[in-house]
Amino acid sequence: MKKIYFSMIVLIIFMLISTNLFSQKEVVIKLKDGVSHIPIAIPVFTLKNNSEKNSKYRDIIHKTVWDDLRYSRVFQLIPQEHYSYIQKFDQNNINFKDWSSIKANILITGNVEISEGDRIVFSIKVYDCNSEKFIFGRNFGGKPEFIRLISHRASDVILEYFGEKSYFTTKIVFVSKRDGNKEVYIMDYDGKRQRRITYNDYIELLPSWSRDNEKILYTSYRKNNPDLYMFHLYTGRTELLASRGANISADWHPEENKIVFSSTKDGNAEIYLRDMGTGKLKRLTFNRTIDTAPAWSPSGREISFTSERGGSPQIYIMDAEGTNIRRITREGSYHDSSAWSPDGTRLVYVSRIEYRFDLYVYNFKTDTTIKLTEDSGRNENPSWSPDGRHLIFASNRNGRYQLYSIDYDGRNLIKLTSRGENETPDWQKK
Amino acid sequence: MKKLIIIGILTLSLLVFFTACGKKVKTEPVEKPVVKEVVEKVVKAEKPELTEEEIFAKKSLDEINSEGHLKEVYFDFDKYVVREDAKSVLQANSEWLISHSSIGFVVEGNCDERGTIEYNIALGEKRASNVKKYLVSLGVPANRVKITSYGKSKPVVKGVDEASHQKNRRADFRIVKK
Repeated sequence: MKKIYFSMIVLIIFMLISTNLFSQKEVVIKLKDGVSHIPIAIPVFTLKNNSEKNSKYRDIIHKTVWDDLRYSRVFQLIPQEHYSYIQKFDQNNINFKDWSSIKANILITGNVEISEGDRIVFSIKVYDCNSEKFIFGRNFGGKPEFIRLISHRASDVILEYFGEKSYFTTKIVFVSKRDGNKEVYIMDYDGKRQRRITYNDYIELLPSWSRDNEKILYTSYRKNNPDLYMFHLYTGRTELLASRGANISADWHPEENKIVFSSTKDGNAEIYLRDMGTGKLKRLTFNRTIDTAPAWSPSGREISFTSERGGSPQIYIMDAEGTNIRRITREGSYHDSSAWSPDGTRLVYVSRIEYRFDLYVYNFKTDTTIKLTEDSGRNENPSWSPDGRHLIFASNRNGRYQLYSIDYDGRNLIKLTSRGENETPDWQKK
Repeated sequence: MKKLIIIGILTLSLLVFFTACGKKVKTEPVEKPVVKEVVEKVVKAEKPELTEEEIFAKKSLDEINSEGHLKEVYFDFDKYVVREDAKSVLQANSEWLISHSSIGFVVEGNCDERGTIEYNIALGEKRASNVKKYLVSLGVPANRVKITSYGKSKPVVKGVDEASHQKNRRADFRIVKK
């Protein structure tokens, strides 16, 4: 079971890499922030061998693809109601003028087939309505238990065709108290398939992904002290990485086999670099005040972090060697939890004003800051989506801490969790 | 040896009791006091041998911790300096610690919820660290004190008012060695 799952993920990662190579050249044409969305129509998928069970599969796949593409902010989905104004969709005789008439530029059709051995085969065909041409088609298959993965993979391929970075098969790791104790959980990017990872019965904090997405770094109090551990998802093995002092906020280097984290092992919270091959530690900050919450820039050449050296917690950036330290936040008296957008142009962080925590995004290019959340309790621990158009964070805006997704411009707030209290999400980088 | 005597007396008395059963009731009151006296004597003999230290040694760590010998101290919002009102508490704590020289303990720093998870871990650690420094300045050997921080993940009160926040901005003491 685990092997199948693992090999599927390896396959997906391989597919992601190979398809991304293709799409790189196309990035330029399509979309930038503010560019109008591509209008697409996705009529209900056709179904070979109709049955109640099979039509249920078909509906799940359609809804998942629909939700993925709507979430992307790349497409504008023509509402289903509009499809009734035109002739009923017929795969063998597509009337492109009809689809153009309801303002669809792209038509995505799909067929769901349940083959022998209860295997789902999902095929998509993508058409350009204006030139009335077939653009491309792809098949996706697997057991019904992977139905959401099959759907997300199809959405990924569609998104990639339009030159975008795909992320519908990525996962989010977080901490939940739903079983009475702070434990580590993972879920799909859309909040589905939430499942528990650790069973320690101690407090667990601030989990984050390794760059290969096969390991989770987190802090656990299993020995009555905040020690740093690494959990291997596919073997179940747990490794102790740091146990002297308080060890938190591990972040894996974008390419190399090393992490940064915060530790008080020398008597004060400082930032350390750990070579994951040799286990060697290198101290990066030397300061009598608190230095914590380090985060790699996507290039791996810089590290953002929180420091109290100016009298209050502020966001700073240093070079990867610990040199050339400069302050980023100018206003306000309390900032923490910085994270870089995947393209390295923006930095999100939490700012406390009158005991409310809100998310702010600083743009390096324009030297401007925007406020992402507004007057709604405490919003904490933001993490970027792999494409930089979305962020996930924890908020107690409705009483208990839950995870929410919000877009880069403060739109499309979506609540992703509801059981127990949930906090500190970390989204896979790819 | 004493035990053997008691068992002997007990079995003897039982034998007498059973043989006496059905005969005369009068024999009973004669036998009973004998047993009582012996038991009392044994207890009396053991009690003086237990010193205060020995009683202490018999207790579990949980029992000692629940007796609250070491009082928690509180901090100002966003601050980690040892407050004036905390100093007298720490003075009392240090006296108890000095008179109980075998005790090893952990100072646990805690924060209220109005801080981020990351910063609060560091802040709680600073609070614990300053408490340790103050205790050491009062003569508690540094090697008996460990520190840790729970940040905001171990509140004692759930409330959102200042009184609740104040209760959560604290350093606790947990005895781990006696």
